[in-house]
Amino acid sequence: MQEQSEEKSESTSQQKSVKKSPNFWAETWQRFKGRKMAMLALIYIGFLGFVAVFAPAIAGTKPVICKYKGHIYFPALGYFRRQWENPIFQKDKFRNRYPENLEKKDADSWAIWPLVYQDPYRRVYDDEWKGLPGNPTQETGSPSLRNWFGTDQRGVDVFAQMVHGTTIALLVGFVSMGIAGVIGIIVGALAGFYGKWIDMGLSRLIEVVMCIPTLILILAIIAIIDSPTIWHMMAIIGCTGWTGIARLARAEFMKLRESDFVLAAKTTGIGQFRIIFRYILPNSLAPVLVPITFGIAAAILIESGLSFLGFGAPPPNPSWGTLLNLGRQNLQMWWLIFFPGMAIFLAVLAYNLIGEGLQEASDPRLRDA
Amino acid sequence: MFSYLVRRLFIGVITLVLITFIIFGLIRNMPGTPISVNMAMIDPGKELNTADIKRMEKAYGLDKPWYQSYGVWVRNVLQMDFGRSISRKQPVARLIKERMGPTLILSLSSLLLTYLLAIPMGLYSSARQGKLDERTVGTILYMLYSFPSFVAALFLQIYLANKLGWLPLYGMKSDGYASMTATQQAWDIFKHALMPVICYTYGSLAYYSRFIRANMHEVLRQDYIRTARAKGLGPITVLVKHAFRNTFIPLVTLIGLTLPSLLGGSVIIERIFSWPGMGQLYFESILERDYPTIMGLTLMFSILTLAGQLLADIFYAMADPRVKIADH
Repeated sequence: MQEQSEEKSESTSQQKSVKKSPNFWAETWQRFKGRKMAMLALIYIGFLGFVAVFAPAIAGTKPVICKYKGHIYFPALGYFRRQWENPIFQKDKFRNRYPENLEKKDADSWAIWPLVYQDPYRRVYDDEWKGLPGNPTQETGSPSLRNWFGTDQRGVDVFAQMVHGTTIALLVGFVSMGIAGVIGIIVGALAGFYGKWIDMGLSRLIEVVMCIPTLILILAIIAIIDSPTIWHMMAIIGCTGWTGIARLARAEFMKLRESDFVLAAKTTGIGQFRIIFRYILPNSLAPVLVPITFGIAAAILIESGLSFLGFGAPPPNPSWGTLLNLGRQNLQMWWLIFFPGMAIFLAVLAYNLIGEGLQEASDPRLRDA
Repeated sequence: MFSYLVRRLFIGVITLVLITFIIFGLIRNMPGTPISVNMAMIDPGKELNTADIKRMEKAYGLDKPWYQSYGVWVRNVLQMDFGRSISRKQPVARLIKERMGPTLILSLSSLLLTYLLAIPMGLYSSARQGKLDERTVGTILYMLYSFPSFVAALFLQIYLANKLGWLPLYGMKSDGYASMTATQQAWDIFKHALMPVICYTYGSLAYYSRFIRANMHEVLRQDYIRTARAKGLGPITVLVKHAFRNTFIPLVTLIGLTLPSLLGGSVIIERIFSWPGMGQLYFESILERDYPTIMGLTLMFSILTLAGQLLADIFYAMADPRVKIADH
């Protein structure tokens, strides 16, 4: 695909009268850019990605950069992985109380702090940060200047939990649909390209997976795994959510295998594997991306729904759905429901908008509409 | 037609066997048995001696490996015996029948409401295509479509039940239900059902009206619409009689595909509102490791899903003379 269009653009550069034909992806991107809502949604997802990557710098109780006993450290990395927090802080018995300990143990130390001094895993106590009171607990934790989105029953800041929960929300979508996309495209490609009994068998497989209720499958597998993590859940969501992608890929491959460029490739003696992945796949990818995008939205819903039912990521991991579950236990604390609820809604909305924009940008029948 | 049906049924049976086999294997391999889970729930301190456990396992057929039990289960199902629930000590068939009513109350009223509202809304928005009001309604519907129903359920609970106190927070019946008159009973259930029905409806309403609008959009560009307009028919006649009738086909197929969700209920919504329906039963029986109930429900859902797909195809062929079901 890429090569073809490059060659074409070279030949057309000499004869200026012929308009350069843009390649398929560039064309789709052009049309996608024209849709304001879809672009806005894309920017929003980019923003979420930014929040996820810089979560420890936005909300946390560990300094982003600090100088301690003559060395520069990045303790905030500990939020990504425990091991990335330099062991010296454990050895010097900081116990996650950085402000007082830095001052006490090394007078020359300095630190750059996260924007919001709040922790997603624990309550901030009295006087932890230069004379400020600790977080309120239970119903008194309504949103305030110090706790923008309030605090939960234990007094843990909701804003910090949501910022750190963004990672899970984004990862769930990408990882699970990445798995689903690979399975779906391979199954759909084989069924559509070879047809006959391979198609028969794979179509039955698709039907079976479609009929199995997702929830029971997820609950059963989570029960079987000894200590389920968020990664197991992503894998399960991915392994059950590929049927729509496979059906679409199958239809696309059935359509394209009869087309002239495939015939041309066949006559030049190119292997079937190469035809499937280098010739047909790039041309069928844009329509297949549509159910993948919608699938990301669905995966976010499934994950938050499962966390909401209490089967989600194990407790210490902050997740939007887990917050909702906390809120459900006490409806007086509306902020535990409102903010995570809106976050889930906006993420789902954004992916739906992107999916629709992609659909209309890549579907030739909808171009004039 | 006949041989098509036979073929579809044959394939359907194979699919059913595969699904039930997979689910049976999965649930039997979940840690914990109905007996151990049940004991832990009643009294954590009380422990059965091994002889008793052995005896109970034998009584429920848990002593055999799961693939043998699957054979027994299939043989029983073929004789229309779905087994007895282990944790509830009731026949599975009766248990499902009991829970079907509450779920149908929600799903049928929501389906009816959806169609009653979605068709006029879809027609309205295709009549006023591109105008400000249509775009506003369209945007709102799109937002509703993306709004997670369990978040909506919690918002409704906070506002309508907790803050305003208009509606009961959860459950299906009030405490004094038995002593009420028939109209009071109906009113009581109506009040309890209102919030779950809203949660069920708004999403599908948004979906259906957008679906109708999209189909109308395609039909309205056809030549016969131009002809109808050219011969001087009024806009409403054109829209309803000429255009809308031709969007009926995809709408009919959609009904076939909603069949499983009619009886399936939604686990999350039913749990939030403590509604005694099928979704709740499913969830509880998974927690209780109640194998016969899980299998009965799985069988029902799978049959409904397959039947829904088949019905959709048959409806499609009946409603659209261009589609012919091929005999081969």
